[in-house]
Amino acid sequence: MSSLVKCPHCGLRPREEFTIRGEVAAPRPDAGADEAVWFDHVYLRDNPRGENREYWHHSGGCRRWLVLSRNTLTHETSDVVDASTLKAEGRA
Amino acid sequence: MRDYLLENRSPFLDVAAADKGASIRLAPVTGGFVFHVLGDAKSDEAALKKALAKIAQELGADVRKSAPNQWFWVGDADVSSDQRAEIQSALSSQFALCDQTHGRVRMVLSGASSRTVLAKGTMVDLSADLFAIGQSAMTQIGHIGAMITRVEDDSFELIVLRSFAGSLWDELQHMATEFNKPASMS
Repeated sequence: MSSLVKCPHCGLRPREEFTIRGEVAAPRPDAGADEAVWFDHVYLRDNPRGENREYWHHSGGCRRWLVLSRNTLTHETSDVVDASTLKAEGRA
Repeated sequence: MRDYLLENRSPFLDVAAADKGASIRLAPVTGGFVFHVLGDAKSDEAALKKALAKIAQELGADVRKSAPNQWFWVGDADVSSDQRAEIQSALSSQFALCDQTHGRVRMVLSGASSRTVLAKGTMVDLSADLFAIGQSAMTQIGHIGAMITRVEDDSFELIVLRSFAGSLWDELQHMATEFNKPASMS
């Protein structure tokens, strides 16, 4: 298990410096969407086996929110980007 | 802006006695200033250094990057709140200054084995060829958030929040014990 995360701002850092928020949810449903759709969005998590996109906060370093892919089987982390890049791409 | 003067008191009590003849020395940095500089998304370090050199050359432009578009500007001179206000008004609106002098404490750990001592607490690779003189890293020492800056060959300056300074100090003394054995043990 790799416990090192490559922060795009700080470089390789131990997992202890990070706070994990959870999966990157799909875009918000429309305000008028069905109640079941909202329930799904707010409460139901996929808990996938394999690659999972998650929000991590580098609380012990640059204090930036990051988005990374974590493999829930191997705990390998990859593709770490600043969360602001998602916003720029309109994915969050 | 505050309308009363803060008295800058050291958070350390009676530290001089501990240092005599030790091979790892830990010393507080007294006086000076620590300003947190917050830049907008397009700000860059070169522009900040240039602006600071122009506005307040006598204070130096020792800026240490803590996060994207954020720096700690550190110096050894004492800066009055009037002078800080002058610097802020001369600085472009791209940068904002926040006085952290009373909130963040500086200390210097030096000695041939200072790297080994720090390595007990932090995972950042401080080897001479990777962590150049003047380079900084915002990290944790144990569970205490601290910024490590290499100031000389075997000398590191740490910036830590004031309320954690005492704990970090004790922790570092503890980590340095194996190099600073009392005379009776050697």
